[in-house]
Amino acid sequence: MEKIRILNLSKRYGKVLAVDSATFSVEDKEFFSLLGPSGCGKSTVLRCVAGLEEPTEGEIYIGQTRVNSTVDGINVPTELRPIGMVFQNYAVWPHMTVYENIAYPLKIKKLPKELIQAKLKVALHTVGLERLADRYPNQLSGGEQQRVALARALIKEPEVLLLDEPLSNLDAKLREQMRFELKDLQRRTGIPILYVTHDQAEALAMSDRLAVMNAGRIIQVGAPTEIYTHPADRFVADFIGLMNFLPGRVLGRSGEEATVEFLGGHRLNVADRSGLSGGCVVAVRPEDITLSLTGPIRCRVEVRNYSGNLVDYKVRADDAVLRVQTPKTEIFAEGKELGITIHRAMLFQLGEGRGSG
Amino acid sequence: MTTSNFDRRYLLMMAVGLFILLVVIYPLWQVFFRSFLDAGAFSLKSYRKVFAYPAYYRALLNSVWVSCVTAALCMVSGTLLAFLVVRTDLPGKKSLRTLLVLPYALPSFFAAIAWIQLLGPQGYLARLFFQLSGWETAPWNIYSAGGIVFVLTVHYFILVFITVAGALERMDASLEEAARASGANTYRIMREITLPLVLPAILAGGLLAFIGALANFGIPALLGMRARFFVLTTSIYYALAIPDFGLATALSSMLVVVALVSMTFQFALQKGEGRYTVISGKSVRPSELRLRSMRYPLFSCTAVFVFCISIVPIFSMVLTALLKYWGAPLAQASLTLEHFAYILKLDTGRRAIVNSLFLAAVAATLTTFVGILISYMHVKARLKGSRILDFLATIPYAVPHTVIAIAMILAWAKPPVSLYGTLWIILVAYLAVYLPFAVRTTNSTLQQIHNSLEEAARVSGAKIFPRLRDIILPLAWPGMIAGWILVFMPALRELTVSILLYAYHTETIGVVVFNLQDAGYREVAAALASIVMGLLIVGNTVIRRLTGGAAGF
Repeated sequence: MEKIRILNLSKRYGKVLAVDSATFSVEDKEFFSLLGPSGCGKSTVLRCVAGLEEPTEGEIYIGQTRVNSTVDGINVPTELRPIGMVFQNYAVWPHMTVYENIAYPLKIKKLPKELIQAKLKVALHTVGLERLADRYPNQLSGGEQQRVALARALIKEPEVLLLDEPLSNLDAKLREQMRFELKDLQRRTGIPILYVTHDQAEALAMSDRLAVMNAGRIIQVGAPTEIYTHPADRFVADFIGLMNFLPGRVLGRSGEEATVEFLGGHRLNVADRSGLSGGCVVAVRPEDITLSLTGPIRCRVEVRNYSGNLVDYKVRADDAVLRVQTPKTEIFAEGKELGITIHRAMLFQLGEGRGSG
Repeated sequence: MTTSNFDRRYLLMMAVGLFILLVVIYPLWQVFFRSFLDAGAFSLKSYRKVFAYPAYYRALLNSVWVSCVTAALCMVSGTLLAFLVVRTDLPGKKSLRTLLVLPYALPSFFAAIAWIQLLGPQGYLARLFFQLSGWETAPWNIYSAGGIVFVLTVHYFILVFITVAGALERMDASLEEAARASGANTYRIMREITLPLVLPAILAGGLLAFIGALANFGIPALLGMRARFFVLTTSIYYALAIPDFGLATALSSMLVVVALVSMTFQFALQKGEGRYTVISGKSVRPSELRLRSMRYPLFSCTAVFVFCISIVPIFSMVLTALLKYWGAPLAQASLTLEHFAYILKLDTGRRAIVNSLFLAAVAATLTTFVGILISYMHVKARLKGSRILDFLATIPYAVPHTVIAIAMILAWAKPPVSLYGTLWIILVAYLAVYLPFAVRTTNSTLQQIHNSLEEAARVSGAKIFPRLRDIILPLAWPGMIAGWILVFMPALRELTVSILLYAYHTETIGVVVFNLQDAGYREVAAALASIVMGLLIVGNTVIRRLTGGAAGF
């Protein structure tokens, strides 16, 4: 069942089209991410769902309720929408204790005191803040404030949870940890999450599905593996993970396979349904390349970065510089003459969707 | 769920709009409108009168030249002092700075009174001069255009000082270091790098001083009217005494035009400041110029100057209040507290204190309250049309207070709503005068509250009134208290508006001090002024504590 449905959503600020007819839906119990470079319109979509911005065009459903429709003039105010939201800076009220912060949505609902207390006990336990209930936000760490914001968003048992880059203000270690906690929390509560981030690693790691946005448009929607292995265009390929882009030519095709020539005459058969012919861009992931003494394409190691779990090389082959990532089983010295083997590649049209990410 | 949900915030907006209409727009419209009216028909008669009688167009010229000279002197002295205090290794800079700002915390007509006590015939400094020089008459006359320019400069140079000092502090030190690395010496750096960079700040401060001098009433009233030297503000006072409303409104319109023109320049300067983005909010401390052998001579000069303009007038005021009679020899035997006792026993004195406290408290409370609503709609909710509201509320800032008083008479002193002769008409005028200041503080207070704090309350299900009550107001509270005091203090000592609007029983402190001084009861005037000065200095200290030095003088 769809918990959030967005149909042809557009948002215009003066002359700028921040969101350009976005359409997607979030299923029940799904962790759905909106991913894109800053300024791509992902936060605007989220704020439209929250009712904090009014769409210029389109419809939004939360559960069975139509909360926005520009055609029928519907714009349900934020305070009446069944949503919980965590803001990038947490927005924990500095003049209220942890307890008061989390209890606020229930106080607004005018629930009886005993019920609020009972619910708070559970909520504080869920986020592990029992002992900090009487503290003020300025006595809390960033991670603890984050949990307060999360508990406050969940306390009124919303139909959906909206998260606006909630991890971007945390330090790297805590961020990793919170990724698992958020995932775990969602599994326990089963609440559908709409998550906004510019961090592709975060989106890949946490999402059930994600939508990649650029310049106000949704480019591709799919599961992380699908988006990683079959990016819809060059922008997605570039934005998600690392990618080498090399100029090439399609020589011919048979069935779903194309033969391309690149790197000074090297030929490779590539699974491809694009139907491209002639000049094209050959995209190769760094991990789809292996280095060996005997590889067919000659190259020279220019820079080597050892990063613990893998080794990162920049190698020069023909006139191109390629990024290659290999397991740390064999480490080659800088300046060494080697050969590379390319196992897998994707083809894109020339000059299309040059990404900024 | 309802489909069309009327935004209740627009109700608030309409209420605030009505308030601004009644307090600001309608009265000011009356001034403009009435200046073109004669016996109910359109006419330029009032304007013709201004230009027909030398006495009136001379007032316009006087206003302009006095303000120009004042602004020029303020720019020179303010810039010099700012350089000395910010960019050199002058000793005792911090205390010098605190003292420099002190005169501005006191009302300008107190300054006029104090300088009359010091430099007037039989003045303390005048007597000292006679003793030292053996002369019989002073080569100066405080009751003159020169005296007016002098006291105006002493009062307003701080505006230049503050803007220039701020620009100097925000200036990136690396700009000067780059010039030094290019081989320029200190003098060339100051002339070719530093001065051009702070020039917009000097001009902006100069324009502020110009506008201040133009709109000032107390100083030209106490120093000029006796010498029959009139400027626009005092002419309006005179026209009202005749009374000739047409003339008063025509003079007012001209005063507004001159003020508006200089305001426009001021805004243009502020916009143009974007070109000098090098003056940014960085906290790089600019290097200090070493004064070397000049350090102590310059310090002595500055210290004497600062002492003369900040401590001496206050001292003179208190001394006059304590003297048995004006002109008494300065011996211990001549000191008495009877003037203080007298003013506190005097019906008019007591009434004035009560009136002023009431007016200041109510004006501060109402303007802060309306201010926070306007700021909320403009800064936070960003409602359609709230920008206009913010703009309309700021209009009185550009209007000299004399004109605001005239506006109130025209708008609210005729049937069916005749407030003339009551405290209410003074209150309405205070509301108009102080609304821009209140809105400015509440705007900056609300800007400091991150939008997401309110959005989080909306997501929590809180509607407009719970949101204001639970989130916005508690967070804005400290800023609102500071804003309240910032209106209360100047309102407590207000003169320009109340002198035009008071009647028997509705005198304010300012009116009583002015009238006592004007009628020659200098000791009693000084006693009341001393009491108010005490209150103001205490209030200023409180507000600086409250805001960590961000507000107050």
